[in-house]
Amino acid sequence: MIVASQKPIQELADAIAGFKQVVCIACDSCVTVCLSGGKRETEMVALELTHEQYYEQNPPNLTSCTIQRQCEQDLVKQFTDFPPNMDAILSFGCGAGTQTLASLFPDIPVIPALNTTFLGAIDEPGVWREKCHGCGDCILLYTGGICPVARCSKSLLNGPCGGSSEGKCEVSEDIECAWQLILDRLTALDRLDYYEKSFPLKNWSSDRFGGPRTLRRDLPLE
Amino acid sequence: MSFFQVNIQCNGCLACIQNCPAGALQYIDKDNQRILQHNITRCARCGHCWRICPQDAIEFQHLLQSDWDTFANLELVHCRECNEPIYSLPFSEKVNQTLVEKIEPLCPNHKKSYAVSRWKHLIDNNPRQEPNKP
Repeated sequence: MIVASQKPIQELADAIAGFKQVVCIACDSCVTVCLSGGKRETEMVALELTHEQYYEQNPPNLTSCTIQRQCEQDLVKQFTDFPPNMDAILSFGCGAGTQTLASLFPDIPVIPALNTTFLGAIDEPGVWREKCHGCGDCILLYTGGICPVARCSKSLLNGPCGGSSEGKCEVSEDIECAWQLILDRLTALDRLDYYEKSFPLKNWSSDRFGGPRTLRRDLPLE
Repeated sequence: MSFFQVNIQCNGCLACIQNCPAGALQYIDKDNQRILQHNITRCARCGHCWRICPQDAIEFQHLLQSDWDTFANLELVHCRECNEPIYSLPFSEKVNQTLVEKIEPLCPNHKKSYAVSRWKHLIDNNPRQEPNKP
């Protein structure tokens, strides 16, 4: 799941200051689940942004609506509940959703309300942690289902490093050492042979370093 | 049957409604009744209601697995050779409208043999001319 967090309220107010009619658009997918950009959070921020204290001049008129998935052009096009006189959009989708809106409304500024942060999972109620880096070349088979690319602070493929202490990473007490987790897990699975084999150099061309990535699938009826 | 189901432990405390980030739950207090409602098209199936419920009343599994709903019931066309169902009658009519020659109601297996028999028929009736030798 894509995890995002809200930008500071003053940053949002500065971005929409000067507009007359701003529409806050929530997304009912990943950002709803991580409590950042769903209907409830969007309505709460829209209400907060009507307060005069954030502006030097009059605050804009704000309305809000929800789209099932902002990152799908067809779903956004189906949604027709936009006010006719909107002059800016405040998107509560992830970066992909915000850019989809921008591509569909070329004449209207689309302002991101969230900082899209990582691909993660909910570990306990209210806590999401990064689990996947999206490197395009998954090695979870050899690391006991724990990704060192995303969860090791150095993305080491042959760890742990000297900064691992009592299962924690030297970067923060809140970060578990991914390689300690991998060792524990491979021990439990009796697959330490995976650990004993050194990883060769990883081909990073399938990661971002090969440029923006595209997935093409042949649709059955095309 | 509703996708959102609660057991008898639900006491209407509204914790689920206050914690739904998608606005998929609401309540109506009318006369002597508190009515709790769920809207499946708004629901993100995030499970916050289920995690937060102090009464363990929400039967979340109904949102994750349920029976199939029939959304159409159409007459079938069968293969004229083996009677295997191949496509719906309205689909066949729609395709036939766009074709000069109507499609034969044949399954993939019999369509192959039909094509061979058509070729055989053409070849038998039009024997191939030997090319002129130099």
